[in-house]
Amino acid sequence: MNKIKLTLKKNPTVVLETEVISPDYFLERTHEEICASVVYHGKREKRLDEFFDVDGERSDCIEIHGDLQRVRHVGRAMTRGEVTIHGDVGMHLGALMNGGVIEVHGNAGDWVGGEMKRGKIHIHGDAGQQVGAAYRGSIIGMTGGTILVDGNAGIEVGMRMRRGMIVIGGAARDFAGLQMKGGTIVLCGGAEIRTGAWMQRGTIISLKNLALMPTFAESGVYNPTFLNVYSRHLKTLGVQLPFAEVDGRYRRYSGDQGVPGKGEILIWEPAV
Amino acid sequence: MGGKVTCTLGEVKNRADFIVYWGGNPAECHPRHFTKYTLMQKSPFLPRGRKDRTMVLVDIRETKSAKASNIFLQVRPGKDFELITLLRAMIKDQPISEAQVAETGLTIEQLQDFVSRMKAAKYGVFFFGMGLSMTRGKHMNSAALLTLAAEMNAFTKFVAMPMRGHGNVTGADVIMRWQTGYPFGISFNRGYPRYNPGEFSTVDVLVRGDTDCAFIIGADPGATMPQPAIDHLAKVPTIVLDPHVTHTSKLARVHITTAPAGISAPGTAYRMDEIPLPLRPALKSPYPSDEEVVRRIKEALLEKPDWMGERPQMLQNQI
Amino acid sequence: MLRITGGTIYDPANGINGEVRDLYVEDGKFVSSFTGGRTIDATGLVIFPGGVDVHTHVAGGSINFARAMTPEDHRRTQAFIRSQTRRSGLGGMAPTTFATGYLYAGMGFTTVNEAAVPVLSARHTHEEMADIPIVDKSCLVLMANNEIMLDLLEAGEYERAKHIVAWHVWAAKAYGVKAVNPGGVAAWKWGKDANQLSEPVEGYKNTTPGSIVTSLAKIIDELGLPHPIHLHCNNLGAPGNITTTLETMKHLEGHRAHMAHLQYHAYGGDDWDTMKSESAQLAEYFNAHPNMTTDAGAVLFGDTVTITADGPWQHLLYKLTGRKWGNLDVENETGCGIVPYSYRPSNLVNAVQWATGLELLLLIDDPWRVFLSTDHPNGACFWRYPEIVQLLMCADFRKECMAGLPPEIMNRITLPEINREYTLYEIATIMSAGPARALGLQQKGNLGIGKDADMVIYHSDKDIARMFGHPRYVIKRGEIVIEEGDIRETPDGSEYLVKPSFDPGTDEFLRPLFEDRYCMSFENYPVEMERIERPDLQQCITTE
Ligand SMILES: [Zn+2]
Repeated sequence: MNKIKLTLKKNPTVVLETEVISPDYFLERTHEEICASVVYHGKREKRLDEFFDVDGERSDCIEIHGDLQRVRHVGRAMTRGEVTIHGDVGMHLGALMNGGVIEVHGNAGDWVGGEMKRGKIHIHGDAGQQVGAAYRGSIIGMTGGTILVDGNAGIEVGMRMRRGMIVIGGAARDFAGLQMKGGTIVLCGGAEIRTGAWMQRGTIISLKNLALMPTFAESGVYNPTFLNVYSRHLKTLGVQLPFAEVDGRYRRYSGDQGVPGKGEILIWEPAV
Repeated sequence: MGGKVTCTLGEVKNRADFIVYWGGNPAECHPRHFTKYTLMQKSPFLPRGRKDRTMVLVDIRETKSAKASNIFLQVRPGKDFELITLLRAMIKDQPISEAQVAETGLTIEQLQDFVSRMKAAKYGVFFFGMGLSMTRGKHMNSAALLTLAAEMNAFTKFVAMPMRGHGNVTGADVIMRWQTGYPFGISFNRGYPRYNPGEFSTVDVLVRGDTDCAFIIGADPGATMPQPAIDHLAKVPTIVLDPHVTHTSKLARVHITTAPAGISAPGTAYRMDEIPLPLRPALKSPYPSDEEVVRRIKEALLEKPDWMGERPQMLQNQI
Repeated sequence: MLRITGGTIYDPANGINGEVRDLYVEDGKFVSSFTGGRTIDATGLVIFPGGVDVHTHVAGGSINFARAMTPEDHRRTQAFIRSQTRRSGLGGMAPTTFATGYLYAGMGFTTVNEAAVPVLSARHTHEEMADIPIVDKSCLVLMANNEIMLDLLEAGEYERAKHIVAWHVWAAKAYGVKAVNPGGVAAWKWGKDANQLSEPVEGYKNTTPGSIVTSLAKIIDELGLPHPIHLHCNNLGAPGNITTTLETMKHLEGHRAHMAHLQYHAYGGDDWDTMKSESAQLAEYFNAHPNMTTDAGAVLFGDTVTITADGPWQHLLYKLTGRKWGNLDVENETGCGIVPYSYRPSNLVNAVQWATGLELLLLIDDPWRVFLSTDHPNGACFWRYPEIVQLLMCADFRKECMAGLPPEIMNRITLPEINREYTLYEIATIMSAGPARALGLQQKGNLGIGKDADMVIYHSDKDIARMFGHPRYVIKRGEIVIEEGDIRETPDGSEYLVKPSFDPGTDEFLRPLFEDRYCMSFENYPVEMERIERPDLQQCITTE
C-alpha cells in the first residue's frame, strides 16, 4: 500500500509543533509539498524536511520513525487514515481527532486524544497526563472514539469525557474520570486516589481494588449484562474484561454525591 | 462547573460574620489580616467587631492561627479535597454516614455543625492558602473550595479568595489576562497567546528543557524550583533583572540590577483581591526600573532583522 | 493632509443625507479645503462618521474577570498575530485589550464608552483602556449603590451628596455617572434584591430606589456633566419588569437621562412561561418624553458571556443555566457577576429578548434617541453589530429569521407587524451621530469642519452585514487605520474626562467615612491625572 514514511533526522532542540503531520493534510500533497510543509521549531517557521526524511506522497497512511518526545500535535484533528509511530511521541497526539487510527510503539506525552470525537488511538507504552481530557476551561472532554494505553497513565484520565472509551492497561494516577459526564474508563491496573471525583454520569471499571472518595456509596454486587457486550468489544482490542460469575463479581459504587452525580464505579472482585 | 465567587477585602471587613481560613496560617504568614480585614474590625453591620464574627481554621496541624479561631477543624493530611467534596454533598442534604466522614479525621457532628454554621451565616468567606493549593491535587483543591463557595450561594452569601504569596503576583496575573486573555502558562511562539498550564507553565517548560533561553524578572526560581529546572537555567543563557543578586543571578549569564519597585520605581501593585494600589517611590535609585530595561532591550531587538517573516494578520483557526 | 473625493456622505449631525461631497483632513480634523496632499477616490463609496458605542464593557475588573473564566472561548476564536509594530490578541466573547481596538476599528467604530467603573478599581480600568489601541475612550463611574452617598441622601443632605458625586467622578477620572440597579446591589450583598421602586432599600428608612434615581439625575444635571445619568434600571431581565421601568422613567421627568440597554427592561408577563415583549408600551411612553435617550441592548442568538454589576440577575442566570458563575463584590460600591450564556432561537425567553431589542429600535421614532448596542458582551459581542444593522435595514431578512422561532412566540412579540426599514441616514444616526450627541462629545459623530476626522468608508453592498462588517477604509483622526480588512496603523486613542466642581472640603469630609468603610488608604483611592494616558478634559455644561 502507498505510504508516507517520515524519519527523524535532526533532533529538535526545543519543541517542534507539527500539526501538519496528519493524513488529511498529506493525502492530496506531492512529495515536494510535504517536504515544504511548515512546522514550528520554537517560534521559528521551518520546513518539515529540515527535521525529517520524507519518503512517499499523496497518502493517508503515515509511518514515523524516531524519538519524537519533543514533537507535538501529531495527527491533530485528523479524520481518516493511519498514523503509526515507532518511538516515543510528545504532547497532544491525536487531539481533537475525528476519525482514523493512531498507533504508537513507544510512550506518548500528555493530552493524548484531548477532546477527541471519533477514531482510535493505541499507545503500546505509557501515556502522560490528561488522556482524552478536556482542555482548560472546556466543559466537555472526549466525546467519542477509543483510546487504549497498554502501560500506565498520568493524572486526570478522561477528565470531563462525555462518550467513548478509555482503557488503561497499567495503573492510572490521581483523578481518573474527574468530572466525567458519560462514556467508559477501564482501569486494568487500578488507579491512585480520587478516581471518579465529581463524576456526573458514566462508568469506571477497575480490575484492581481502588481507594474511593468518601462520597461514593456502595450499591450492591452484580455482573451486569452490558459487561458481556463490552467484554466482546474489548476482546477485539486485545483486552480481557472478566464478566463470568464463576470468575468473580463486580462491586458497584455510585456517586459522586458531592455533585450529586449518578456515575458508577465497578470494582472487580475475583472469586476465591 | 462552579466558577469563582469573590469580593474585595473591604467587603470582608464590613460584612463577613463567618470567616474560614483553609490551609493557611494567617497569624504568622499574614499577621495584619486579622486586624485589618477579617476579625478585629468593627463596621455598621458588625458593630461588636470580633464578637460578631466566627472564625474557623481548617488545617492539618494546630498552628498559632488556631488560637485566634473559634473552631479548629484538624483535617487529616491529603484529605482536603475529600472533605470539601463531602461538604458539597452535605449542604445539598445528600445522605452521608459517619463511616464516610471517618477518613477525613473529623466526625460527622463536626461537619454537621460546620454546615449549619455556614448556612446560618449572613456573609461567609473562605480564605485558602498554600496548604490547600500546593498540596496533592493542587488546582483541583482550590477549584473544590471555589465550587463549595459558589454552591453555598443557594443558601446565603458566600465568597472565596486565595491568600497569595508576596510580591505582585496578582498584578502579573491581572495584566496577562487583559493583554492575552490568560493569567499564566502562556506561549507566544505562534505569534499569538496560547494557554496550557502543565505545558507552558514556567516550571514545566524548564523541567522538560523546552526552552533555549530564560529571562527572569522579579522572581528567584533558582531558589524555589525543583533541581531539574534549576539545572536547565544554568545550562541555557539566563538573564536576570532584580534589585538584588539572587540565587538565579548566580547561575545566570547576565544579571542587571534594577530599581526596587515600590521603593524607588513607580507603578501599580494589585492586592490579593485584585484592587490596584499606586506605588509611590520614596527614594531615588541609581539603577533603571525593570520597565526601562525591558523597553531598551525591546528597542535593541527591533534593530535586528525580523525573524517572523510573512505571517497573516489574523487566524480564524488556532492551534 | 488627506482628501477624500466623490464619496456619498451620510452626516446626520449636519443634515447631509447621501450627498456627494469631498472631504479634507488636516492635522486630524476636517478643514474646508486645501490643495495637494494624498487623495482617496471614494467615488461610489459610502461615507459615515466613525461609529460611537455609548454602552459597552471592554476594560476593567469585570471584563477581566470574564476573560479569566472563558479560556475555552479564547481558543476557538480568531487570533491576531503580532508583528514588529502590532501586539497580538484574541477576539471572542471577551476580547483582549489589543484585539478590542482592532475589532472595533475593523467595523468602523472610533469611540467607545466603557459603561461601568467602580472607583475602587478605576486605576485598573484606566490601565486597561491605555492598552486598547485606535479608538478614543471614556468611562462612567458607578454611583447608585455608594453607601456614603446613600447615607447622605437618607439624612436629607442633598448638597453634600452632590459634592460627593462630583468628587467621585473626578477621583475615578471618569466622564460620567452610571447608576446600576439603584439600591439593589447594596441589598444583594445580603442575598436580597431591591425590586420595588417605592420600598425603602434594605438597611434604610426613607431611601428608595426611586428616590435615588431622582436625586442622582438631578445632581448630574446640576453638575452639568455632558452625559446625563446613565441608568440601568432595577429588575433587569425579569418578566413583568415593564412596570418598574415605566415607574423609573416617571421618576426622571424634568431631568435628562440615558436609559441603558432598554431591551432587558421591556418585558411583560408574570414568570418565564408567560414572559412577553412590552416594547410597544415602552416605546409609546419613551416617544412622548424627549428628556431621555436609550441604547437597545439588543440580543443576537449565539454564545456570549454575561457580565454586569447586577449580581441578583447573574445569580438567577447561574441557577437557570447551571454553568459557570463568577461574582465579585466590591466594598461599599458595587458588585459584578459573570455567567457564560448561549442565546438560542428555540428558547422562548431568548426569542422574546431577540425580538424585543429589534422592536425597540424600530418602534422608537427618533433615531437621535435610540442607539445601536448589545450591552457588549451581555446581549451579543460588539463585533456582531453589522448583523443588527442588517436586521434593521431589511424587513424580509427579519421575516426569514422569525421563521426559525418557536410558533408560540407570535402572540408575545410585535416584530412581525413592523415593516419599518432603516435608511442609511438613520443607521448613521443610531451608530454615530446620536450616541456622540448623547455622550456630549461634540467633536465626534460629525463630519463638519473642525471636528475630529473619524470616518468609515464602505463599499455599497446589497449584503448589508458584509458592507458594515468589512469597510473599505476606516480613518481615525485623519490616519488610515483599516484598509480592506487589514490593520494599517494602531495609533493610541484619547481618554475623555470631566472635572465637575465640588467643595474643596470634600476630601476632609470623606476621609474619616472612607477609612471607616474601605480598607485602602484614602490617598491611594483617587486616580492621579498623570496615570491617564492622553487625557482630554471636556467642559461641563449648563442645563436648564
Ligand atoms: Zn452594561
